[in-house]
This record gives sequence, C-alpha cells and structure tokens, in this order.
Amino acid sequence: VSSRAGTWLVTLLLLLGAVLFLAPLGWMASTAFKPEKEIFSTEARWIPHHPTLENFAGLTAKSAEAPMGRWLLNSAIVSTSVVSLTLLISSMAAYALSRLRFKGRDALFYVILAAMLVPGQVTLIPVFLMIQKLGWFDSYQALIVPGLAGPFGVFMLRQFMQTIPKELEEAAVVDGCGPWRIWAQVILPLTRPALATLAVLTFLGSWNDFMWPLIATNSNEMRTVPVGISIFNGRYTTEYGLMMASAIVASVPVVAAFLALQRFIIRGIVLTGLKG
Amino acid sequence: MASTSLPSPTSIARRKPSRPLLVALPFLLPYLLLFGTFLVGPLLYGFYLSLHDWHLLDPEKRFVGMANYRGVLQDDLFRIALMNTAYFVVLAVPLGNLTSLLIALGLNARVRGETFFKLAFYLPTVLSVAVVAVLWRWLYSTEFGLINHYLAAGHGLLRAVGLAHGAFEPVPWLANESTAMPSLVMMSVWWGAGGGMLIYLAGLRAIPESYYEAALVDGAGPWKRFWAITWPLLRPTTLFNVVIGLIGAFQMFGQVLIMTNGGPHWRTMTVVYYMYQTGFSLFKMGYGSAVAYTLFLVILVVALLQFRLLAYREEIS
Repeated sequence: VSSRAGTWLVTLLLLLGAVLFLAPLGWMASTAFKPEKEIFSTEARWIPHHPTLENFAGLTAKSAEAPMGRWLLNSAIVSTSVVSLTLLISSMAAYALSRLRFKGRDALFYVILAAMLVPGQVTLIPVFLMIQKLGWFDSYQALIVPGLAGPFGVFMLRQFMQTIPKELEEAAVVDGCGPWRIWAQVILPLTRPALATLAVLTFLGSWNDFMWPLIATNSNEMRTVPVGISIFNGRYTTEYGLMMASAIVASVPVVAAFLALQRFIIRGIVLTGLKG
Repeated sequence: MASTSLPSPTSIARRKPSRPLLVALPFLLPYLLLFGTFLVGPLLYGFYLSLHDWHLLDPEKRFVGMANYRGVLQDDLFRIALMNTAYFVVLAVPLGNLTSLLIALGLNARVRGETFFKLAFYLPTVLSVAVVAVLWRWLYSTEFGLINHYLAAGHGLLRAVGLAHGAFEPVPWLANESTAMPSLVMMSVWWGAGGGMLIYLAGLRAIPESYYEAALVDGAGPWKRFWAITWPLLRPTTLFNVVIGLIGAFQMFGQVLIMTNGGPHWRTMTVVYYMYQTGFSLFKMGYGSAVAYTLFLVILVVALLQFRLLAYREEIS
C-alpha cells in the first residue's frame, strides 16, 4: 500500500513539474491569440476573452520587413540539405572507419573523436573569413556546407556500424559484392535506426542553429527563421502579440517533426548514450 | 550457374584489394575534405590569426606574437565577461543536472503516462534559442509579465494573512543587475533539462534490477539505495551530462544577444558575446580570435578537470 501511495506522490510531483514546463508554451499560445487590450492586462488570463487572429494578420501585413514565408523556405532548404548530405557523407565515412581495414584507421577515428570537443565558437571567425573569400557570404552554400563538417554523425554511425555482425557482410563478399554495394545494400539497411535518429537530431540542430546563420547572412531574404524573428523582435520589442505569433510560426515545424518522430530521439539516445 | 555463384579462387584474389587505403579513400574523401576545410583548417587558421593584429579592412596582417593574449588577460571587459560566464556555468550546470536527474528518477518509478511526461519535459529543448529568448523576455516583463502577475497574486495572499505589507513591487528581472543573470539561468535550465533527463533515464534503466533486490533483502531504505547504488552507478552518466552541459554553458550567446545585449551594466555579457562584439561589430579579427582561443583553453581545462575529478572518485570507491 505504501509503495502505491509513493507512486501516486511521484505522479503528482511529475504532473506539477510538467505543468510548470508547459506553462511558458501555453502562455505563448494564449498571448498570440489575444487582442492587444487583453495582452496588456493586469490579470493573468489563460483563455482569451475574445480570441483573435489579428496578431497573425499583423505578421502578414509586415511581410516586407518580416518575410516569414521566405524565412521558413530558407530554413526548410537549409535543414533538408544538411540532413540528407550529412546522412550520405557521414555514413560513407563511418563505413570506412568501421568495416574496412587500412593503415591509420584508428588514429584517424581518434582525431575525428577529439574534434567533437572543439566548441563551435572557436572556428567562427576563420570560417566566416573563408566564406567571404569563397564569395559565399549571404548564400545557401554558406548556410549549408560548413555545417557538414561536424563529427557527431560520423562518430554515432561508426559506433553503430561496429555492432553489425561480420557474417552478414561475408555472405555478400562471397556473392561477389564490392565495397560500394556492401555499403549500400548490406550496411545501410541495417543502420536504419541510427540513421533515423541522426536525421531527427541533425534536423533540429540545423533548424534551430542561431549564431552561424546570424553571421553568415545579412540580407533579409537570406535569413533563417530563428535569425529573422530575433531581428524582428529587436524592432518591435513591446509588441508581444506579434512576437508570440512569430514565435509560434517559427516553432510549428520543429514541434511537429518532434512529435511525429519523437521515438527516434528517445530510442537514439538510449542507443548511443549521446545527444546531438 | 554454379560458376557464377561460387567465384574461382583467382577472382577472389583479384578482388582482394592490394592497397586497402585505395578502397577506403573514396568513402572517406568527401567527409575528410569538409572536416579539413571547415574544422581543422579554421582551427589552425584561427590560432594564426590570434597572433596577428588585424582589422577586417586592413590590407595586411601584422604579426604581434602573444600580444593579443597579453591584451586579453589585461582586458577588463574580458575579465568581466569571463566572470559572468563562470557565474552562469556554476549556476546553470548543477541546477540543470539536478532538474534532469529528479525528473528521470520520477519517471524511473514506472509511473503511468511516461511518454506524455517525456514529451512535456523535452518539448522546450526542441525550440530555437530565438523562440525561447523572445518568449521569456515576455514572461519576465516587469509590468505585464506572467511571473510578476503570479508574484503579485502571491503577495496579495500573504498580505491577506498579515505576512506581507505594502504594495507589490514588480521585479524588473532583466533590468536589475542582481537578477539579470539568474533569470537567464532559470530559462536555460527550463530549455535544456529535457536532454539530460533522457540520458539519465537511459543510465537508470541500465542499472540491473538485481542490485536493488539485494539491497531490499538487506533492508536498505530508498534513501540508502539511492546513495549506495543509483548515484555511484550513474557516475559516468553524470560525467557525460556535466561535460556536455559545461561546453554548452560556456558558449552561452543567443539569450544575451536577444534579451539583454550584455546589460544591465555588463552584468550578462558572456565571453562569446564579447567575442561576437570584437569580431563582428568592431571587426578586430586577430583580437577576436585570441578571445576565442582563450575560451577554448578554459573549456578544455575545466572539462579535463571534470574527467579527473569524477574518474578519481571512481578509483577510491
């Protein structure tokens, strides 16, 4: 009986915690659908008296300085490119590092592993200068290509591929398959769970990235959603209804992706003991 | 048919690569090119830059040796930024870890609705720093913010029972020198606790049930079981969470840029924000690189200290 009471107590505490964690998001939604008079009210009302879409309409009306559609498109182009290229390039490298034998393989792996400890900010200035030299400043290349150098994907896929039994590959070798066919037809299908996790984590990381897109772009047309709304926010600091509406538009894609694919994140973290 | 499915010994020998590196290289090349161009190269180039006095518009880089680093060490603004960053790290990393651990312990009690709880606690983590910062600036608003709404309500209740007096003074969370940084800590804990929770939960689930059963037979209570089994066996998980948390917290930037601009009175200016200012507002690329490298060194030393500290404890236990 006492253990059941304990479980109830724990559930109650967790519920309280969950309410606290969700409250800011609830308030964001509540504010976004309130008319201005209710936003600047002295009482905290969660359900708007007169729910309205005027904040979203205001966002559309300001589309010249806050082209949300364009920013969403930019973010979508950048994150899908980063995800697909990361999966391709990392899985090739991880295959070589886990399934092929060559001199210096382990040394190379440790170099890549050590690079995971390098904070992104250390290379910010040099990468910015390089992008300028290449003439990539304020372009999709600038937003996509440097993001492909991160070692996390190679590390994670290599760890996973190492657990695949050798026998599965040997059968393919006997059938006369070369390394490319083994990579594509044997190893990749078996790596699917890890690839799915990597895809979700890379998508979230790329969509939410802030400092690099802030530095790598300067025209309103090339901004990604997070950078766009942060600059917009700096201009309309006290128009909270407008701000919450833009925050909601910016969050819908990631929240939808997360809710649809959450099992890959949760399983992936158990799988690798790592997060992105 | 038989001859195609069973290759002759000579054809196997021919297919066996005489130069294994040549087989591996095409797989490695795309990543290694990116890795070299956008990670290793910039890492070296950044150090080279840090030894030079160079404004972005200067035609030439003037070699100055360690002068930028000496400048950084004597720079009052850098010292303020480093102290602020350390203050943030010291508050946010332990508080964040504790929050993650408490939630994970609760979820590990096999409660109903585990998936719902996981989603609720992880949801803030999937949001961009821009969304989080814009949202919390509103929550912290002095006049109409949600937090001050509830503080005012609480004050009213206390006054009704005679425990508080006078009118409620709303807290200017982000504008007050002593509350600005703790406010950023609180929102950062909210933002990041979900990731640590999932890792702790994986760590907890990896502890064999039989350990707890044995402890129960010995009559150990829940408190004793936690300190004798759970906490020591979670040490690698804690080390991982702490190191990841440290690396992230030392690089805190977006919150400052969007919410406080380093103010009030430099109280929330972090090292990365200072680097951003020197590099991308003042365009002092050499000096900015020296700031970045100094931060890198600090992070490296603190991370290694954590490894030593937690690994050493493992030896004696």
